[in-house]
Amino acid sequence: MSIRFEKLNYVYQAGTPFEHEALRNVTVSIPEGSYTAIIGHTGSGKSTLLQHLNGLLRPSSGRVTIADKTITSSTKNKELGELRKHVGIVFQFPEAQLFEETVVKDIAFAPKNFGKTKEEAEKIAVEMADLVGLPANILNGSPFELSGGQMRRVAIAGILAMKPDVLVLDEPTAGLDPKGRLEMMQMFEKLHQQQHLTIVLVTHQMDDVANYADHTIVLEKGEVIAAAAPKEIFKDPQWLLKHHLALPKATKFAYELQKTGKFFFDKMPLTEKELAADIVDSLKRGGNQTE
Amino acid sequence: MNKVILGRYIPGKSIIHRLDPRSKLILSFYFIIVIFLANNWQTYALLSVFTVACVLLSKVSFSFFLKGVRPLIWLILFTVILQVFFSRGGTVYWQFGPLSLTSSGVINGSYVFCRFVLIIFMSTLLTLTTAPLEIADALESLMSPLKKIKVPVYEISLMLSIALRFVPTLMDETEKIMNAQRSRGVNFGEGSIMQQIKAVVPLLIPLFVSSFNRAEDLATAMEARGYRGGEGRTKYRVHFWRLKDTLACVAFVFLTTILLYLRNW
Repeated sequence: MSIRFEKLNYVYQAGTPFEHEALRNVTVSIPEGSYTAIIGHTGSGKSTLLQHLNGLLRPSSGRVTIADKTITSSTKNKELGELRKHVGIVFQFPEAQLFEETVVKDIAFAPKNFGKTKEEAEKIAVEMADLVGLPANILNGSPFELSGGQMRRVAIAGILAMKPDVLVLDEPTAGLDPKGRLEMMQMFEKLHQQQHLTIVLVTHQMDDVANYADHTIVLEKGEVIAAAAPKEIFKDPQWLLKHHLALPKATKFAYELQKTGKFFFDKMPLTEKELAADIVDSLKRGGNQTE
Repeated sequence: MNKVILGRYIPGKSIIHRLDPRSKLILSFYFIIVIFLANNWQTYALLSVFTVACVLLSKVSFSFFLKGVRPLIWLILFTVILQVFFSRGGTVYWQFGPLSLTSSGVINGSYVFCRFVLIIFMSTLLTLTTAPLEIADALESLMSPLKKIKVPVYEISLMLSIALRFVPTLMDETEKIMNAQRSRGVNFGEGSIMQQIKAVVPLLIPLFVSSFNRAEDLATAMEARGYRGGEGRTKYRVHFWRLKDTLACVAFVFLTTILLYLRNW
């Protein structure tokens, strides 16, 4: 499912003295099957943008096109229910959404809402629990007795159980330990690879953007200031610093190396692997010059 | 959720903002009692002029006050209509069974309307110009005589300040959980009454759970910072009763005197 924003504006509390413009003239698209990262400073409008992806917010003006469905300011609430089945959003700290008596029931909640029978939904729930790496012995226990990391997995499984075509992740690894973080990011990567899920990731972790994303949208003060592949975005470290964005660790290291004057990179490396290869490359070339 | 104006504070530097919260609290309550003394056109006109003067002094845009009235408009209209059609006395304009439109009915109806609007304006003025914590402070200070009859005034005001502090946080949380559950296919406010009640469960349980967790975290954090109860604590925010507070009280005394003079006994 491809998603397209056209001249989208969104104003919070329009018509009151608390009026606040969150998105301005956003025209950008999320290609089908892509792994799109949305980055930007806190308060740049990322969360507002992602609530437009499944009709939780309707644009103040402009339009959002999701597959063949168009959402404008006059779209009725009733028409949006169907859409939500196709776009699953994992909100920040999604463990706050758990409420059922057992883990299975909670995961089965969304498919049941979207018309699956209880048996079908619970069968999907068991599959999804396995997919996110939950041990089988906790499935019939209460979700509130689990550890923070496991609760997060239950919540994510609850969204995956909807079998969405687009999976939206708002900082899915915030507050997790490094191991949990890696496992979770690898799981999303696997889903993207195997099921060709379109993934939209909102994050402050530039390393995740560099490692996984193939498309990046940069927001600043409610406007899209860049939309391109991560390679393009990160090729100009000075531009990023100017817009108060961080660099991936490998790119930062390469940038510092380049500043010493002894190394030169054609394209800024994004990952540690690329960095290592580029350093070897640069050393070889440097070696040739001195000979 | 964002449409609620009642209970919202707008920072400002007007004379009303700078009054001691205790005087504001007492005077707003006093005003509400005074309203019930009014019983003819002159007295209501006097109170209206006074209220408008207060609103102008606060330098808060008038539209806020109108918005404060808006959510209650149906209640007001309902009461007014009951008054208009079920009052007896005066000239009868129209009659049908128990319903009758009489001159005294119309007059009573408009009095009730004025009363409602004035009370809402004054209480909105209090909350718009006084930060919630100031109100909590004022309540604590005004309740302190109750300590003599063993009312746990300090605990009540602590709970009140914590509650007020967490109202916006909980509102945000509610909004977040609602959005999360909507994404999972819950339709809030749609369908039959039973369906609507059922839809609230996925919202209420997470809210309760997160409140429990929050309470536990807050209690731990408070203890870690040396909180041992109300005994022997000092205060950071200290309020002073100033000349302008006394003047405000004098203004209200004047108001009452004129009102009593204009009143039909």
